[in-house]
Amino acid sequence: MSRKFNKWVREYQNQAWTLARYLLKDPAEAEDACQEAFVKLWKNQDAIDPDKIRPWLMKVTRNGCLDRLRRRHPTEELQEWHEPNTVAGPMQGMHQSELGSWLKNTINSLKEPYRSLVVLRDVHQHSYEEVAAVLELNMPQVKTYLHRARKQLREQLAEVRP
Amino acid sequence: MNRDDKTLDAQMDHLLNQLKIEKAPASLTRKLKQIPREHREKKPLLPWLFPGPLPKWVMAPAFAAVPLAFLVVVLMQPRQPSPQDIEQARQDLVVAFTYLDKAGLRTGNQIQSVLGGELRHNVKDKLSEHIPFTEQSLQEESS
Repeated sequence: MSRKFNKWVREYQNQAWTLARYLLKDPAEAEDACQEAFVKLWKNQDAIDPDKIRPWLMKVTRNGCLDRLRRRHPTEELQEWHEPNTVAGPMQGMHQSELGSWLKNTINSLKEPYRSLVVLRDVHQHSYEEVAAVLELNMPQVKTYLHRARKQLREQLAEVRP
Repeated sequence: MNRDDKTLDAQMDHLLNQLKIEKAPASLTRKLKQIPREHREKKPLLPWLFPGPLPKWVMAPAFAAVPLAFLVVVLMQPRQPSPQDIEQARQDLVVAFTYLDKAGLRTGNQIQSVLGGELRHNVKDKLSEHIPFTEQSLQEESS
């Protein structure tokens, strides 16, 4: 039983950590959220379809992170999905290497579910089906929201690229 | 979509592809590996009787039964009577036998008086049919 669980830890801890890190930003809190998700996985392992461990874990990690965000900022994080980002600001004349970290910050500042969509699809390379399962959206919604998220990123990139 | 947009898209795809899954910190890995040990399920005491985890209320009567069982065991132990107990029992026995004697005596007297009276009546009634009684004998009878 614990051997199987350790295998899941090896395979999915980095993905859960990355998702939590993007959503929460604070490393200590991201660590706690990951730990909670894996505790839930340990307790519910018999009830979960072995083929769906990863989407289940990602969903639980994400929900845990969103709960934490709600407690932290009850109105800020989830109220508006379509609001364009203005946090990053123009960073004219950046080098290519700096653009990577800029993009991370810009993804961090996206609203939900755009941020989770970009992380799961573009960073984790999950399939559309898996992303839909994690975020409890249908396929057209996943494609539409992902398109909007990328559009926001592209617009901000247009402002800052060298 | 113009040429500039295509370049922008290509640049963003390139940047997105550069984003890697971050490696979890060692402290998190350590915590995750401790989960099975820290959250191990307790095995049931009697799996054939209680296959699932026991509800908490089951333990309440079990805890209550412990002092009760102790009390029963203590009371079941043979106890040596003290000399005072023996003396008290002897006196109780004397009193009980005295009462029994008195009750036996009184019962015997009652039986004797009832049976004796009945016998005398039966004998007298039979005799009176054949021997006429005088006034004096009737007075004696009534007194």
